[in-house]
Amino acid sequence: MRRAALVAVVALTSGGVAFAAPPGSFVTLPSPVAPLSGSPPLSGGATATSEIVRHRVDAHTRVAVALDAHGTPFRVVATQRLDVRVKGDYFFTIGAPLRAVEAAPGSDSTPGQRATAITWAGFNPGRRTLTARATLDPALAAMSLPLRVEVAPGRVTLVNATGVSATSYTAGVVAPPLRAYFAELKRDVDRDVVPSSGGARVTTRTSPTRVRVVTPLHVSGVVGRRRVDALLEDRLVLRASGPLRLTVTPARPARLLDAPVAGLSGRALLDRVSRTVLTLARTRQYRSFLGNPDPTGRSATTYVYRTAARPAPPPVVAAPVSTRSWGSTLAVAGGLLLALVAAAFVWSRS
Amino acid sequence: MRRIGLALALLALAGCGGSSSDSQRTPLTVVVNAPFSRTPYLGRTIENGVRLAERELNANGIRLGDKTYDLRVQTMDTALSPARAVANMRRAVGRRAVAVVDEGTGVDASWRTAAAAGIPVGIVFQGGSGLVDPASRPNVFRIAPTDHGLAFRLAEYLVPKGLKVGLLHDDSDYGTAGGRALATAFSRNRSAVAIDETLPADALDLAPQVLRARRDGATALVVWGRPATIAAAITAARSAGWDVPFYTPPTGNDPFVRQQLADHPSWVNGLTFAGGRLTAEVGSGPFQTFEQKYESAFGVDRVGVKTSAGASVIVPPETAMYAYDFVNLVAAALLKADSTDPRKITSALNEVSVEGANGDQRGFNRLNHEGVIDDDIYFARFHDMTYAPVKDDPLSGTLPTLPQTR
Repeated sequence: MRRAALVAVVALTSGGVAFAAPPGSFVTLPSPVAPLSGSPPLSGGATATSEIVRHRVDAHTRVAVALDAHGTPFRVVATQRLDVRVKGDYFFTIGAPLRAVEAAPGSDSTPGQRATAITWAGFNPGRRTLTARATLDPALAAMSLPLRVEVAPGRVTLVNATGVSATSYTAGVVAPPLRAYFAELKRDVDRDVVPSSGGARVTTRTSPTRVRVVTPLHVSGVVGRRRVDALLEDRLVLRASGPLRLTVTPARPARLLDAPVAGLSGRALLDRVSRTVLTLARTRQYRSFLGNPDPTGRSATTYVYRTAARPAPPPVVAAPVSTRSWGSTLAVAGGLLLALVAAAFVWSRS
Repeated sequence: MRRIGLALALLALAGCGGSSSDSQRTPLTVVVNAPFSRTPYLGRTIENGVRLAERELNANGIRLGDKTYDLRVQTMDTALSPARAVANMRRAVGRRAVAVVDEGTGVDASWRTAAAAGIPVGIVFQGGSGLVDPASRPNVFRIAPTDHGLAFRLAEYLVPKGLKVGLLHDDSDYGTAGGRALATAFSRNRSAVAIDETLPADALDLAPQVLRARRDGATALVVWGRPATIAAAITAARSAGWDVPFYTPPTGNDPFVRQQLADHPSWVNGLTFAGGRLTAEVGSGPFQTFEQKYESAFGVDRVGVKTSAGASVIVPPETAMYAYDFVNLVAAALLKADSTDPRKITSALNEVSVEGANGDQRGFNRLNHEGVIDDDIYFARFHDMTYAPVKDDPLSGTLPTLPQTR
């Protein structure tokens, strides 16, 4: 029973990937769409409360991150534009740790604000643009940003913060069908459509592995006087100082997708395909910093990091305090009590 | 000493045990503040909507922590008097109400009394723009079409038709607020307005005002006022042989209008009113389920007129639906807040949604306390004493016609 529960938990955390499957089994590959961590998208992502209409929604988000002199984010503002198609009612909930939200220019409607969500409700006559400008809790939002900036005297380090450890498996597989799936996966990515999940027939017993998955980031802009245009998979140390302005976009995992697979063994091919789909899943997460209510819709997110001055904290008003301490108060009260007792004693003897 | 100990033990025992049976449930008061004596149909339909939600919620009770609560409804009559509405609100505070379901009369004054006690107020009829403002009146919510939404949807619908519109509103609070909303909505298309006129709310004969609109070249009349005003305006036009189309807010659908014009059923034909949609995308099923529950609990609300085929015409319980939805939202807020503290309930109302009686999602948020969004306003046109959604409006064209005869 306990073993069954354990298997269930492993299956859940690994996106349904089969472990220890015997030779000849058909096993599913990791999903190219299942998130590898709780966030992003923020606060559980987006939902559409469905009636009978399923809206087609493309989501474009621009995340403006203000950094202080140490590279710490202190303000995160996300502007999300939802391009909604298909006539009918809509009720969308976009998870976000909100401080404030307002309609941005060009929006056909006004967003609602809840503690952890932007809400949209209305009737779509055929096409609607819903644009919200959301000020997020920087402490919560910063944890899901793809890039970390570390500032030291004369040096700025850009760190890809998308890395995560994921569960996969390795085995010998029948290569040709997997190669065909990989080609199809690549076509889907290039056409910007949601890739479908795949599977493989194993020729050996499968064994679990842990895979480090990182979304490559295209980083461009300036740090001080130095121009930056790089594909960041790990970290980049720049000899530079001064204010920075960087645009960061999750990139297509070209190294995994484009390298030839013709000569790979079944096992090596499986490793490549698994790593690719996991990377696509991770990339999909960072393309949806705020969720898209249409799970099959297109999502894109651009992150803009900029050095700015932290707003000065409001002046602390000194509250008037008594100069007398508890001790002195008790001493005075005790003295008065003693005096009262003494007076009573004297009076009783008089 | 032993006797005292025994008594204490008995008292302690009396305080123990489950609290799920009806008799042991703790009551929570919901007040209905409505004009029962002056507009009985409106007051009664609001009360019925609240009572229907009460019955359903009390079937299992509202469980918070280890206690189970029941809702108890208390009605208070405003008689359309703001002063009485305020006095009622004081009584509601005195009775520790957890929520007030309000027709809207006097809310401009009474909301402060409720706010001082943190009590949420849910308006379910009046649509005046100033009544609801999450920033300055955080305890006031509304589930009813807003005047702003109705007026803008009317402008959006009428201006492209190339009509010269006569904007007529009566001098009641309802009509005055509507007149303001119409003036704003048509402000960008003043060329579409032939005349803008105030009507006396209590006048029986509006022939002079209607004649003036005709002389000024109006080819359509928007009449915003009490049902009596609408009936009088139609009577004035039709008895003068003027076949001008009439457009109204939801009061055009009030049974009183058809009752007044029952001797001339053809005069009602073509009357178009704007209102909150009664059905959702899923069709009329959810609303009809609600309607059946309403009818089995309280009976059918008959208009008092018949179709040409002799069928008795009934009123779908629209306002009751709004009251019902508000009480369900209060119950959801109670659960979300996990408290009966009205302040916490008010705050939680910003965070919850429920499926409304018509199948649509119903809810508020911190920036918007309107439960009927402008997009949900549709148009329906009368024919043979019953109405059907118009076909020349994108939303209305998608809506089914509800059965209105029994």
